[in-house]
This record gives sequence, structure tokens and C-alpha cells, in this order.
Amino acid sequence: MAGSRDRLVVAAALLAVVALVGVPLYRLAQTASEGGTGSISRVLHAPGFAGAAWHSLMLALVVPVIAVPLGAATALLLRRPDVPARRLLQVLVLAPLVVPQFVLGYSWTQAYSQAGFTDQLLGVHWAGLTGPVGVVVVLVVDAAPLSYLLTTAGLATRAQPDLERAARASGADGWTTLRTVTLPLLRPVLAAATVLTFVATLETFAVPQVLGAPGGFSTLTTRIYADLSLASDPASFVDAVTLALGLVVVAAVILAPADLVLGPRLRTTRSAQAGGAVRASRRDRRTIGAAALLAGYLLLAVGVPTLALVLASITRAVGVPATPGNWTLDNFRTALDGPTVDSIGHSLQLAVAAACALTLLGAVLAALERRRAGRALGSLVILTFAIPGSTLAVGLLIAYGRWLSGGLFLILLAYLAKLWALAHRTVSGAVDRVPPAEAQAARCSGAGPAAVLRTVWLPALAPALVVAWLLTFVTALHEVTMSSLLYSTGNETLAVAVLNSQQLGEVGTTAALSVVLTLLLVVGALPAWVLLRLLSRRRVGAPRLIAARVAHAR
Amino acid sequence: MPADPVLRCQDLGVTYAGVRALSGVDLGVAANEVVALLGPSGSGKSTLLHAVAGIVAPSAGEIWLAGHRVADRRSSVPPERRAVGMVFQNFALWPHLCVLDTVAYPMRRAGRSRSAARAAAIELLDRLGIGYVADRRPAELSGGEQQRVGLARALARNARLYLLDEPTAHLDTHLREAFQAEVLARCVDTGAAAVYATHDAAEALRLADRVALIDGGRLVQFASPQTVYAEPVSETAAALTGPGSVLSATVRAAGPDRLGVDLGTGELTVLGGGAVPGAPRPARLLLRPDWVRPDWLGDDGPVPGRVAAVGFRGTHTDYHVDSPAGRVLIQHAGPPMRAVGDPVRWDIHRAWVLGPGDASAEGDDGAGLVQPVVDDVEV
Repeated sequence: MAGSRDRLVVAAALLAVVALVGVPLYRLAQTASEGGTGSISRVLHAPGFAGAAWHSLMLALVVPVIAVPLGAATALLLRRPDVPARRLLQVLVLAPLVVPQFVLGYSWTQAYSQAGFTDQLLGVHWAGLTGPVGVVVVLVVDAAPLSYLLTTAGLATRAQPDLERAARASGADGWTTLRTVTLPLLRPVLAAATVLTFVATLETFAVPQVLGAPGGFSTLTTRIYADLSLASDPASFVDAVTLALGLVVVAAVILAPADLVLGPRLRTTRSAQAGGAVRASRRDRRTIGAAALLAGYLLLAVGVPTLALVLASITRAVGVPATPGNWTLDNFRTALDGPTVDSIGHSLQLAVAAACALTLLGAVLAALERRRAGRALGSLVILTFAIPGSTLAVGLLIAYGRWLSGGLFLILLAYLAKLWALAHRTVSGAVDRVPPAEAQAARCSGAGPAAVLRTVWLPALAPALVVAWLLTFVTALHEVTMSSLLYSTGNETLAVAVLNSQQLGEVGTTAALSVVLTLLLVVGALPAWVLLRLLSRRRVGAPRLIAARVAHAR
Repeated sequence: MPADPVLRCQDLGVTYAGVRALSGVDLGVAANEVVALLGPSGSGKSTLLHAVAGIVAPSAGEIWLAGHRVADRRSSVPPERRAVGMVFQNFALWPHLCVLDTVAYPMRRAGRSRSAARAAAIELLDRLGIGYVADRRPAELSGGEQQRVGLARALARNARLYLLDEPTAHLDTHLREAFQAEVLARCVDTGAAAVYATHDAAEALRLADRVALIDGGRLVQFASPQTVYAEPVSETAAALTGPGSVLSATVRAAGPDRLGVDLGTGELTVLGGGAVPGAPRPARLLLRPDWVRPDWLGDDGPVPGRVAAVGFRGTHTDYHVDSPAGRVLIQHAGPPMRAVGDPVRWDIHRAWVLGPGDASAEGDDGAGLVQPVVDDVEV
């Protein structure tokens, strides 16, 4: 019976959620309560706690306010067909997604800090980089592409061109149309981008660690890291646990109402029509100015730091001018010596295993979406995304560390728990866009459930499955918040190795490792990306082929 | 016709991403006039409406509204500054606005206060008989209600010209006819003109004062409904404007508005015209179903034939009849009187000689049905 088999899958998925998230959270609470109220008050009154909590909240509130409008404005600009070098800009805007967060932060220090790239070249450096303002700026650069992507997708699915044309035909000028039609249509998407950016910023660890820690700017996440990895007494362990719980409370307090308001609205997706801009308008001066502004921003935010990082990785020593005479590959030789090579292997194994498992998990959950139990499970999984990585990692460590400590498997579990929602949302969004009639028509044509899966669902979902794989692969490879808490000596991931090297102040090696990590990501993601292009070309190509045949028949 | 037509397009061309969607269109629309744009999907009807509304800029030619040039190759007045109201094909209702605010929207843009705009919107909705949906969102409306709201929004612009892009394509058949007449009455009773895009020949002929035939991005013919029906400029134009058959026959002029037609069974003198040769010569002959008459009673009909297919249409019956000159469509009131295979004699009283323009599309025997009506054929 199909029904009982579905129930079995639902039960298995529920069990997985409980094991991956429920048990760790329960053990966290248990451990914190063992310390009694004493540990809570000790944490609350510890020197620097109030500052760290305030910093975390400040970042989480300020970064979305800047990053979401920036990303949305970029998306609105790059939708216009008359933007010069539009294709190139569309690709470059996404560059920060490819660069791991702490590599981005580190490349900014190489570019703009004292004795950095601009200091050597022009004698200009930015002292505020290693303070709150610097952390905010780099986090904004890192977070803007997410809002850009969400807005672009929202424009394609929610803002059908006719809705804007109708406004123009009703007498609204371009700005009024933006204000009264386009932005209101995008409101749920922008709200979702704000919430996601809030969560991501609240749990961010790498940028505050790389940029803030040297200047004494600490957040809850960097304190958890410090408590867990630098102190060894049981009391500080309990402190870390209590902090981790505090983080989840902050997230829940902000997110629960947001999910209540947004959840139903985000689920009503509209069918996409032909996208594109409202108007094939001629290129005007303002468009060119805006595009130039965007290009300048990308140059400063991504271009110069990347150049500085690459130069640092091939320069003989710190402080030596980065001229060809001082170029060397020694940094790479040192970086790739011995244990680091192993860490590349670990990272790739972990990322591939996590991406494959998560794509499957996401697909299973999406397949259950049309049953009530499946939908509830989907909402549950999405809520797990809001649990900060540090909290999840500490919870997993307490719950399963006894048996799994020291292996990569614990890190894999953390990835599965944290990223399931990412894979699930990607696949279920595509499921929503497949009209139920397609599967019904296949059933009426004599296809069994397995044949429907193969002939209707798989072709329709293939691009989304590849995207889910790609997203989880990239995120897993970047991940440093959880792996930095869960790794053991000899089992470092490459990201952890870069972080450790940076903590030791090895500039050339860190830069070289950063370059290697970014390249690794490109190499690992390339096959999936090529596959995606092939898949999308096939889907676009089919109607064209038919049109050509019809034209020929005439 | 007044000196300044409401709309004038001159040699208008539109290019989309290197593809020529429209070229060389000359079109004039007078006040109070309803013009139907008739053409198959993808022929350029929507593109023409979008160009007139200002949604796309022309790549060639000029557009004039009420004596003012609003677009040419170099510049294009944006849609909000053209006094044009548009009804969109897929309704294009804003999901985030209630009906009242949707209809008030154009009046708000025209600078009226919120309360004044809402009051006027209520009045307009009441006039269209949908005042009861004022506080609903588009998702809560039926198809007919959505269409009326779309119309109300266009009317709220108080324009001199209304553009309607297949406004009834998504309506149920029984709603369609009543609504079409109402739409145009509403648009024109203010003294404005309307351009109505459709792919339905019967609709265009019934509603319009003049019909503009669009095919492949070109204006094929622009004339009264009677003319485009009875005197199409080409076989394509004939196919766009209604059912009919194309036969091969020997034709000669036989006096004013008279043709001598030989379908292989002796010459008949009929009403008609077209590309008539002086001397008798083979030509392609358009026969509309109402120009052909079956002779059920006797053997008097001059042309012999045999019924190849029969389709009952309710008010009348379609007979597809094979004759020496090709297959001809005959319509006759009432239920089927003949079965497939029965012999039938028939007569014609009018015919139209098609130009040689696009004759090459057909097979060698020269006979073809303009609009194959095979969906309900009983064999």
C-alpha cells in the first residue's frame, strides 16, 4: 500500500529530525541545567558577555538593513536589458558567494589594513576595518548576493511584466510603478531575505573572528569558540553551552513571529510568465551611472581584496613589495605540506557526502510535501535552519561526542542537521511549480508511481536537484562555524586549517590556503554547474525545436 | 473623419532582440471607431498594442495620438504620458491591491485625492455591475469579475483611446458575447476609440467598424468587416476572416461585378470580382459557405459532387463536398439532410478571385480548404 509506505517514510524523516536536532538541543538544555542557575548568572555577569551579546544583536539588526536594500537594488538594476555589460555584472555580483566568508574577511585585511595592498600602493589604509564598522561592511558584502538572488527570483515569479505595464498604462511613471506595484509585490520576498540575513548574521562566526577578534570585538559565536577551544575547564564548557542556548533563544524570539506572518504568504507561489524588463527602453545616463556605481562597488568589495589575497599568496614575505621579483610558490609548498593535503581530502569527502545525502533528504521531504504530515515536517526542518550553527555543534558534541568524537562523521551530522532546510526549500520550490495535472495525466496514460517519478518528476526536478547539490556542496565546503568546534587533531577540514593558520599569523600560508580553498570550490562545483547548464539548455531548447519544426512544416 | 485621427501609425516597425515583430504598419483610427486587430497568435497584435501604449519603443516609423507624435525611431513618450487605457489579456491585476484601489489607481496617478479617487472608482464599479467586489483581492474574483475589473481600471484613465488585448480570451463562451458588446459600448460611449485584438474572425467581424488583418508582423488588409470577408486580398487574408473553400476554376470577366466561372462543368455567371483576367484563364476561386447553395430537391444544381464529411453545428450543418474542382464547404440550415457518400448537386451565386500572391503554398491540384473544419466531422 502506498499510504503505509508514505507513513513509514514520514516516520523515518521525523526520526532523523529528532536525532539530528531534537536530541542535541535536549542534551544542551540538560547540561546547562546541571550547572544550575549559577552557570546562567555566571555567564550573564562574566566580563564581556553583555558586550558580546550586544555586538551579536547589533550585527544581526544592522547588516540586513543595509544588505537587503543593496541586493534588491542590484537585482532591479540588472533586470534592465539596457545596462552596459549586464551579463558580466550579473556573474560578478555573485562572486562573494563563491568566496568563503572568512576568506573574504581575510582578503579585506590583505587589501585595506595597515601594510596591506592599498597601503603599499597608495599609502592609504582603513583603521576601522578591524572594528565593528569593518565587520558590518564585510558582512554586508557577503550577505548582499543572497538578497540579490531572492529578489531576482521574486521578480521572475511574482512581478509579471504585465502587472507593471498595467501601472504604466494607468499613468504611473517608472518610480511610481516601483513604489506602488513592484516593491509591494516583492514585499514577502524582501521580508524573507531580511529574516534569512538576520539568521545568517546572528550565527556568523568567521568574519567577527577574523576581523573583530584581533581588535577585541567579540560576539556570542566567537565567545563560544573561545570558551570551547581555548579553555579546558568544565565550567567554561558549561558557559559555552549556556551561551549556545542563549543564541537559540534570541533567534527564536525574533523568528517565530516572522515565520507566522510570512510562512503562508511565501508558500503561495505564482506561476512564472516570460520575465524580462517592462520596457525595451533606450539606454539613459542614469542607467549607465548606476551600472558604473555597481561596477565600482564590486571592484572595491571583491576585486581589490581578491587581487590582494592572490598577491599575498605568491609574495615571499610580509612587508615585501609584491613585485614579480619577489614572487614565489613557496607559500603554496608550505601550505600543501603534509597534514594540509589530508585536510583537502577531508573537506572534499565531507562536502560531497553531505551534498549527496542532503539532496536525497531534501527530495524525500519535498516528495512528502503534499501530505499534511509531510508539510508539518517541512516546517519543522525549516525551523532548524534558524538554530545557530554554534548551538547545533555544541549540542551534537554533547549528545554524540562520546561515540563519534574525533571522526569526521560528527561534522557530517552537523552539516546534515544544519543544511537540510536549504536542500529541502530548493527542491520543494520546484515541486510547487510542477502542476499536479502533469502527474495526473501521466497516471491516466498508464504510468505507475515509479514511472511517474522517472518520466514526470525527475525531468521536472532535475535542475532543482542539481542546484540543491551545488548549494549544499558549496556551503559545506565553506563551513567553519561548526567544524571549528567539532574537529579533532588530524581531522581538520581545509577551512579549519585556513582558520588555524590565520590564528597563528602565517600570512603567506593563509593566503595560499585561501586561494586553494576557493579553487577547490570552483573545481568541485564545476561538473554540477556544467550539468545544470546542459539541463536548462535542454528545457529551453525543446520548445524552440518544436517551433522550428512547425515553421519548417509550413 | 476629423483632421486629426485618434491614432495614426506610419510605417511602424518594432524589433525585439533582433527579431522583427512588426514592420511597415500604417493604421488610422477615428473617434468613436472600433478597430479589430485580427490575426493568429504570434502575428504581432500584442506588439502593435504595446507600441501604441508606449510599452515598447518602435524601431521604425511613427505613432501619433490625437495629432501629437508620441513615438518615432529616436524617442518614445512613456505610457503614463499617453492618454491611452489598456485592458490586458491575462487581466494583469495586482495581487496586493483590492479591487477598489486597483480601479482608483489611475485616478490617483492623475493627481486626485485618495477619497475622490475611491468615490469615482466605486461609481465606475457600480456602473459595470461589480460594485460588490470592491473590497476583494484578485484571487477572490471569478474570471468574468477579473475581466470587468481590468476594464474598469482602463476606463478609469478617461482616455481617448482604449486598447484591448484579447480581453475575452479567458472567459467562458456564454459570458463572452455579452461582455464583448458591453466592453466596446463602454469604451466608445465616451467618444473614445477602441482597438481590439482578437484571433477570432467572427468576433472581429461582429464587433468592429473596421478590421485590420495582421499576419507575420505585417498589416495585410485594413477595411470594413464586409470587405475583408467578401474581398480578401490574399488566400491568407481569406483564411483569417472566416470559413470558405478555395477551388481551381477557369475565370473570365463577364460585365460589371460579374464573373464567368467554369468549374469543369460549363460556365456559370455569378456575382463577384477580384483579380479577374480579361481572357478566360485558370485561377484560384474563393467560395464562402454562404455563397454556395445545395440543391436537395432535384438535379437542377449545375455542379455535381459527393458528400465527404458532415458536421452538425446546431443552427446549421457543414457539408464537405468533393467536386471536380476540389472540395467545397457548404453550410445549410437545420440538421444533416445527407449522409457521407450521398451525391449532391450545388450552385454558386457569388465568388471571389484570389490574386496569384500566395498561391504557391497549396498543392498541385490547386484545390484546398481555406479553413479546414475537421474537428467535428462524422465520417
